[in-house]
Amino acid sequence: MILLFKDLRKTFPLLLIIVVILGVRLSASPNQNEQELTGAEIINKVDKLLTTNTSYSKMQMTIETTSGNKRTFVFESWSKNDGEKNLVRYLEPRRVKDQATLMLNDANDIWMYFPRTERVRKLATHAKKRKMQGSDFSYEDMGGSGDFDEDYDTKRLEDEEKNGHECYKVELNRKPDSDESYSRLLMWVRKDNFYPIFIEYYDEEDPTYLQKVLTQSNIEMIDGIPTAKKMVMKNLDDQSQTIMEVLEIEYGVEISDRKFTERGLKE
Amino acid sequence: MKKSPIFLWILILVSSVFAQQNVEIFGYYESQLMGAELNNDFYQLYTNKLRVDLQGEIADNVSFGANFDYITYHGKKQWNILNFLAPEVVNSIPDQQRQLYTLPFENRQFLDNAYLKIAFDWADFTAGKQQISLGTGYVWNPIDIFNVKDVLDPTYEQPGHNALRLDIPIQIRSTLTTIYAPHDNWNNSTKLIQFKTGLSRFDFTFTAIEKERVTHDYSQFIPSRQNFLELSEKRQLLGFSTVGELLGLGVYSEYAYNLMDDSDDFHEFVIGANYTFEFQTYVMLEFYRSELGKNNYHDYTITEWMQQYTQEKKTIGQDQLYLMIDHPITDYINFGLTGIHCLSDNSLSLVPTLEYSFTQNTQITMYLNTNFGKQGTMYAKDSGSGGMIRARVYF
Repeated sequence: MILLFKDLRKTFPLLLIIVVILGVRLSASPNQNEQELTGAEIINKVDKLLTTNTSYSKMQMTIETTSGNKRTFVFESWSKNDGEKNLVRYLEPRRVKDQATLMLNDANDIWMYFPRTERVRKLATHAKKRKMQGSDFSYEDMGGSGDFDEDYDTKRLEDEEKNGHECYKVELNRKPDSDESYSRLLMWVRKDNFYPIFIEYYDEEDPTYLQKVLTQSNIEMIDGIPTAKKMVMKNLDDQSQTIMEVLEIEYGVEISDRKFTERGLKE
Repeated sequence: MKKSPIFLWILILVSSVFAQQNVEIFGYYESQLMGAELNNDFYQLYTNKLRVDLQGEIADNVSFGANFDYITYHGKKQWNILNFLAPEVVNSIPDQQRQLYTLPFENRQFLDNAYLKIAFDWADFTAGKQQISLGTGYVWNPIDIFNVKDVLDPTYEQPGHNALRLDIPIQIRSTLTTIYAPHDNWNNSTKLIQFKTGLSRFDFTFTAIEKERVTHDYSQFIPSRQNFLELSEKRQLLGFSTVGELLGLGVYSEYAYNLMDDSDDFHEFVIGANYTFEFQTYVMLEFYRSELGKNNYHDYTITEWMQQYTQEKKTIGQDQLYLMIDHPITDYINFGLTGIHCLSDNSLSLVPTLEYSFTQNTQITMYLNTNFGKQGTMYAKDSGSGGMIRARVYF
């Protein structure tokens, strides 16, 4: 459970993705003590970006293999309590239409619904490591709220330019008591809005082995919240990548708690 | 059979009308080839299946769903079960009765599910032919007395059941469910009440069911009825199931105590565990015991075998073990290996499987099952080995 949660953070982008959950208030003024900010302070500001009460989004997920084959999925996602509750329901392709996943307690509890058999299955934490519909995002990547601060020790490295933006570069090393799936993260955070636009994810056991790379782009202000409308996760092991695009997103929408129950899962 | 094209045209016509009224139409076409080794020959059964689903909202909080299945069979459409059984079982049957043990595969078209669902603030009410899935087991579900899964293909969809169902959410993780599946009269209708709740990392379910259990004595043929002797008795089931996580493993269990009107009461239970490794390999182990099964394969009678083939009982062996290993070879291809071991008769079937997402909406599934048991056991090496390949296109 914890594991899941952690992963999420790592994959924090996903979070975004998913729902975009980020309800972010860009609170920091760009030039504020720029030189004095510590790694922890930067990550704190990033964490705040991941805090949104409720959101609804419609996403498109495209999986690309090295052979050039593509699979495209479209799903709706509802999120509440800063991403602590998530519901994902597939719209396309027909093969998975109406399949749904409910993630509670920061994705520590997951239920999957299969409409053709009306069966609901509860997944154990380990199942969250599985690829979601064969994508480069795991189930755990797709649920939960962001809180890097809790699970990682941070260290600010030398600032770098990334993808045309001035960025803080922060190293996050998993705390000894944490069960996050990634041992180490390297994060490039935009100086102007504290948005993490590039994250490297390192192996669970080997902090020098780079597994995945996430790029977040097309950042737009929506309801005053910076939102990455495109996220690309590259899996260096499989040489594949998955592109998440935001088709629709709304923050602060009213969502009943009923949505996040088995009943809501089947609706 | 002759009516089926007309039925299809009506369906298409109705679908066209619905299509203009915010009703979704979807489904799939499935082509499947199954084969089995028999007496050093290999026989095949080819199946075409078209499933059309309708789904829509009639009004606020009122929805409906339905699907029509049209299935045609080709190849070897008559399978005599005796061909797969040990001589000691076959020899117990008079020569003139042996043709009675043939299972026919005849073309079918039917309304599989058709239901109306009303969502009240306090409950969901579903009426009509609908899916009913009970229990936490992957292959065997002692609590589910509506369905029997195919051990070689346990996730395949089940038929719909006529029922009135009420689901009353009590708290976030608690639901009270009642099901009434009507038959001739109240006494032989199926009644179910189930309470589901959650605590910490576990879900718990308590179930009580009353259902008429109908089986046949396949050693006694009644010429006047042109059928085997029907046996019917009331079955009352008290069940419990749970699913959750323990020491990092996914764990689940199911238990059912069956109180029978005439025959002996019996227990059934399932326990299982699963785990996903970092490298994406998924492993699952499930153990099933049914006191309806036999401990010694010499006790497998023709009635036992036929009840299993006709799904009147879930197993004829008392204890079975199911081990599944599944690994995504690529983003689109999954390879799996399943071992099904009947501990009671020490027979084994190994089943390598492959699933390939050929295109966005085309799924190819195949498996080969090879048996290693002695003659007369559940998975005897001299009969029943075979395979299946299925292509399904969703629309």
